[in-house]
Amino acid sequence: MKILAVEDNKELASSIHDFLAREGYVCEVAPSFDEAQEKLLLYSYDCVLLDIMLPDGNGLELLKFIKGKNIQSGILIISAKDALDDKINGLEGGADDYITKPFHLPELHARLRAIYRRKKLEGSNIITFNEITLNTDTLEATVNNALLDTTRKEFDLLLYLVVNKNRVLSRQSIATHLWGDYTDNLANFDFVYQHIKNLRKKISAANGADYIETVYGLGYKFNSSNV
Amino acid sequence: MRLVDKFTLWFMGVFLLVTPITTFICYNNIEKKINDAETARLTDMNERVATQLKSGVNAEKEMKGLATEIVAIPTQLPAQRVQVEKEAADNNFQKYHENRLAVTSYYTINNKNYKISSYSYTPKAEQILSSILNTIVWKLVLMIFCLVISARLVSHRILRSLRITMKKIENFNVKRKLTFPHTGTRELRELNSFLQKMTDKAVEEYAAIKEFSENASHELQTPLAIIRSKLELLTETDIHEDQAALISDMQNAIEKLAKINRSLTLLAKLENKEYEVSESIRFCRVAKDVLAAYEDRIEMKNLSVKNNIDKNIQLKIHPTLADMLMNNLLGNAIRHNVQNGTINITLTQRQLIVSNTGLPPEIPTDELFQRFKKSNQCSESVGLGLSIVKQICEVSGFKVSYNYSNQLHVLEVEFYPSATKEYVAGTTSHQNFEPALS
Repeated sequence: MKILAVEDNKELASSIHDFLAREGYVCEVAPSFDEAQEKLLLYSYDCVLLDIMLPDGNGLELLKFIKGKNIQSGILIISAKDALDDKINGLEGGADDYITKPFHLPELHARLRAIYRRKKLEGSNIITFNEITLNTDTLEATVNNALLDTTRKEFDLLLYLVVNKNRVLSRQSIATHLWGDYTDNLANFDFVYQHIKNLRKKISAANGADYIETVYGLGYKFNSSNV
Repeated sequence: MRLVDKFTLWFMGVFLLVTPITTFICYNNIEKKINDAETARLTDMNERVATQLKSGVNAEKEMKGLATEIVAIPTQLPAQRVQVEKEAADNNFQKYHENRLAVTSYYTINNKNYKISSYSYTPKAEQILSSILNTIVWKLVLMIFCLVISARLVSHRILRSLRITMKKIENFNVKRKLTFPHTGTRELRELNSFLQKMTDKAVEEYAAIKEFSENASHELQTPLAIIRSKLELLTETDIHEDQAALISDMQNAIEKLAKINRSLTLLAKLENKEYEVSESIRFCRVAKDVLAAYEDRIEMKNLSVKNNIDKNIQLKIHPTLADMLMNNLLGNAIRHNVQNGTINITLTQRQLIVSNTGLPPEIPTDELFQRFKKSNQCSESVGLGLSIVKQICEVSGFKVSYNYSNQLHVLEVEFYPSATKEYVAGTTSHQNFEPALS
C-alpha cells in the first residue's frame, strides 16, 4: 500500500511514517499544502492521510483539489478539531473516513486498511490469516472453516487484532476502537480483558491456535508466530 | 404600559390641568371686554347726543328709540364727567341673566348743565360661563380623541425605527454582527450607535473566545497525539517488564489528559452556545442507541436493566448533545454500579430518570455537578461527566437533579421544568407537556 501523509507536524508525521513502514507500506510525508499538491499530481497513492490544519492552507481545500483532479485515492482526514462542522464537511467533500487527534496508531492503521479494502481491493471483504477467516460484510469469523459464535464486539476485536498483528495494542487503544465515544466514563480495562478472554476461549474451542498474548501490563498482541 | 400610552396620559394630564385655568382667564376676559366695549359705545352715544344738543337740533326727536335720556340739572357738574354704573338688571329681566350697564355723562351746553345718561344690557357672567364651559368640554373631548388617535398613528411612524432596533436585539446572536437602520431621530440614532458598538464587541469577544478554545484544543491535541504515538512505537521495541510498567502509567496519564482536554473543550463550546437547535429529534431512539452501545458492558457487569422508554419522544436538542447526555448518564450508571446491580431507565414525554444501585455518595449529591468533584476523589474518572450533563441540560432548557434515596442514585432530567412546576401545583392542563408533539 502506498500512502501520502499530509501532516505539518514533523514528529507526528515521523510516527505515522515509522508505524506504517513497519507494515511494509510506502509512506511519504508532505508537510505543506503545496508539497502535497505537487506529490498528488506526480505520483499516485492508495490512501491519503489529510490533516485539516496546514500552515499554508486548509486540508478541506486539498480534498476539493483531489476530487477535482479525479484522483482515485482513499482519503482519511486527520484533525485536531473535533468540531462537528469539519467532520460533516470532510465526509460530504468525499473523504472516506475521519479520525481526530490524539489517535492511536493501530486505530489509524485499521481505518486505512478498511478504506483500502473498500477502494482498492474492489470491496473485498475477506481477511484471512492462517486458519482464521474474517468476513467484514457478514461479520462472520471462521476458524478452520467452522463458524465462530462471536458477538459484534468480539468480531471487531478480532479484526482489529488481525489487522494489527504482531503489534502491541494498548488496552486504551482497544477500548477506543470497540466503543468509540462511549468509553469516557468507564474503567474499560476489565471489559477489554473480558472480551479478550472470551475471544481466546472461542478460538481455542474451535481448535484455533492461541495467537493472542498478553504483553506485560501494556495490552495485547496478536502474535502470528504463536503456532 | 406602552410608550405611546404614557405620552398620551401625560398630555391628557396637561390638558386637564391647563383647561380650568384658561377657562377662568377666558371667562374674566370676555366679561370685561364686553363691558368695556359697551361702555365705550354708550359714552360715544352720549357724546353724539351732546353734540346734537349743542348744535340746537331737537335732541328729543333724534333720540327717539334710543335708551338715552337728557336731563337738565341745576347744580354744578360733578368732578367725574363720565360715570359708569353696573347693576343687576331689573326684576323683569332677571331671568335673562343680564346686567344693566348705565353710562352717565355731564355736559355744559349753552351755559346750561345737562346730564346725559344711556344704558344697555350686557350678558351676565353666569351666562358667559355656561357657554364657555360647553365649548371647553367639546374642546377637551375632541382634543383627547385626536390625541389618542394621532399619537397612535404618529408613534407608529416615529417609533418604527425603535421597534426595528428592538426586534434586531431580540434576535441577536453572538455569531453574527447586526446592522441597524438609519433614523432621523437623534436619541434613536444614539441608541443604535451604542447598540452597534456593544453588539460588535460581543461578536468580536465571542469570536476570540471561540478561537482560543479551538486553538487551545488544537495546540494540546497535537502534542498529545505525538506522545501517544511515540509511546506506541516504544512499546514495540525490545523492552523489559519494568519499562513496560512505566509506559503503561504514561499511557494512562495521556488517556486521562486527552479526556480532560476533550471535556473542557466541549464545556467551552457548550458555554459558547455552539450547539444551536432548530429541529426536534426522537430522543427515544438516541436512548435506545446508547443503551445498545453499552450492552456488552452491562452484560459483563451482570447488571439488570429495566427500561421503560416511551415511543415518539420528540425533543429540541442537538443530536450530538442528546447522545452525550445519554452517554454520560448511562456511563455513570454502569461505572458507579456494583456487580449484579440494577439500572432503571424511565423516559416519558416530560422526563428522563436514570437510577442505579451503587455505593452511597460521600459528598452531597448537588456538589457532584461541579467540575472535578468526585464522590471518591482517587477514582479513575475525570470528574467532568456530570458537569457536562448539567451544561447540556442548561443549554437545552432542561433541569437536572441528583438524589440518593432507597439505596438508589437517581438522576432526573425534566424536559419542561416550568411546565412541570405548574403541574405539581395542579393548575396546568395536560397539553403543557406536549409542545413537542404538535
